[in-house]
Amino acid sequence: MSDKTELEAPGLVDTAVDRVRDIVDQAILRSVKGLEFVTSPAPEVGVTPKEILYERGTLRLYHYLPQTDEVYRVPVLLVMATTQKAFVFDLAPGQSMVEFLVKQGFDVYVVDWAPPTPEEKRLDLADYTQDFLPACVREVQLDSGETDVSIVGYCMGGVLSLIYAATHPEGPLKNLACITTPVDWSHMGLTRIWSDERHFDVDRLVDTLGIVPRDVVAASFDMLRPAQKTAGRIRVWEQIWNDEFVKSYRAFERWGNETLPLAGEYFRQTTKELMWANRLYNGDLMVGGRQANLANIRVPIMAIMAQHDHIVSYDASKPLLELVSSEDKEELVLKGGHVSLIAGPNAVRRMWPALARWLSERST
Amino acid sequence: MSERQSSTDPMDRFRELVTEWERGFDALANRFMGTDEFSRAMNQFQNLQLSMQKAFAENMAKHLANVNVPSRDDVLRIGEAVHEMDMRLARMEQRLDELARATGVAPTRPRKGPPRTRKPPSQMPPGSA
Repeated sequence: MSDKTELEAPGLVDTAVDRVRDIVDQAILRSVKGLEFVTSPAPEVGVTPKEILYERGTLRLYHYLPQTDEVYRVPVLLVMATTQKAFVFDLAPGQSMVEFLVKQGFDVYVVDWAPPTPEEKRLDLADYTQDFLPACVREVQLDSGETDVSIVGYCMGGVLSLIYAATHPEGPLKNLACITTPVDWSHMGLTRIWSDERHFDVDRLVDTLGIVPRDVVAASFDMLRPAQKTAGRIRVWEQIWNDEFVKSYRAFERWGNETLPLAGEYFRQTTKELMWANRLYNGDLMVGGRQANLANIRVPIMAIMAQHDHIVSYDASKPLLELVSSEDKEELVLKGGHVSLIAGPNAVRRMWPALARWLSERST
Repeated sequence: MSERQSSTDPMDRFRELVTEWERGFDALANRFMGTDEFSRAMNQFQNLQLSMQKAFAENMAKHLANVNVPSRDDVLRIGEAVHEMDMRLARMEQRLDELARATGVAPTRPRKGPPRTRKPPSQMPPGSA
C-alpha cells in the first residue's frame, strides 16, 4: 500500500502543477482576449462561396457553388424562417450545414429574407407560398436544368414549405424535409399564451405599425429564455481563452441580433389562421384560394425535431408525419434545442449526416 | 490546454452553477410569464403604446398637411403602388413561364457545373468511395 502511494504521489503533484499552470494561463489569456473581444468587429459569417440567383423585395435566392466533381441529380432548396437570416445555415467553416451538404455533393440553393420594407406590409402567406417559393423553385429548375427539386425548410420556413407542398401536389417537389416545424400550434407554449386572442389585439398592432418591428419579434424570442443572454455572457467570459468557443458564441450572437421584422399581413394571418384557429393542423387552411391540407402531401418526407426546443416544442412539430399521406416518411428526434439542431455539435455529428443520407438516397 | 482538463477542473462547479442558475431563473420567469394575468398586462401595455404612437402619427400628419408637405403614409402609398406593379410583373412572368412549359417551349439556360451523376454511398460499388 505504502509503495503504491509513493508511486502515485509524483503523478498527483504533476497533475496539480498542470492544473495550476492551466488556471494561470487561462487567467492571463482572459485579460488579453477580453480586450480583443470587445474591440474586434462581429465575426464574418456565411463564407461558403455563393452567388445570388434571384432577388425581389424581401426575397433572396442564393446558389452555393458546387465543390465536388459530380453532384446529385436533384438540387436541394433550403428555406429559411422569415424571422431570421439564413446565414445560420452557414455560420462558419466547419459549423455550416450548407458547407457540409455542398461537400457531400449536393447542389444547394438557399431562400433567404431581407427585412421587408414598409411597402411590403401587405405581403401574406399567399405571397410567400404561391409566389415567392414557386418563383424560387422555377429559378432552381432553370439554373440546374432539372425538373425535380428537394426542399428543406427550417421552422417557419418549414411551414411555408409545407403550405407550398400541400397546394402544389402536382409537383415538381421531389422530397421534403422539415426541421423543427410547428404543425400543431396549440402546443406553442408561452407564445400561444402571449398571443391569446382574448388579450392580444393583432389587428391594432398591424394596422398601427404596418410592419411588425424587429424589436417586437426579438423580444418574443428573448422572453422565452430570459436568462439565456446573461448566462451566455458569463460562459463566454469564463471560456474567453478558448478561441473556438468564442468564435462560435459570437457567430450565434450575431445571428440572434439580426432578427428580422415581419410583414404585417403575414403576421396577422399567421396569428389568426395558424396560432388561433390551428388551421394547418385541422386541414382547413386556405391560401391564395387553395386548400393547404397536409394530407395532399405524398412526396417522401423527413421530420427533424429537437427534444428540448423552447421555441417550437416537440409536441407542436410531432404530428407532421401523421397528417401527410406520404408512404416514405422518416422521423429524427435529437437532443438539443431549436438552434443547436441545425448548427450545434449534435447537428455536426448527427443531423447533417442523417439529412444527407436521407436526401442522397432520394436524389438520383 | 483544454486537453489536459478533467473533472478536477475547479471551473466545472462554476459552470454547473451558471447552468443551474439559468435553468432556475428561466423556469421561474416562465411560470410567471405563462399566466393569464401576465399575458393580459403585457398586451394592455402594448395597446397603450400603440394608442400613443397612433395619436402621435395622426397629429404629425395633420401638421404636415397644414404646411403642404406629404406625410410618411403619402410616400408609402407611392412605394406600395410601385411594389404592386413589381408583383404584377412577377406574376405575369410566372404565367408566361407556365404557358411556355405547357406548350413545350420551356425556357432553358446553358448547363453549367459538374455532371449530375453522383450516386449515394449505399449504391457505390465496394471500394470505390
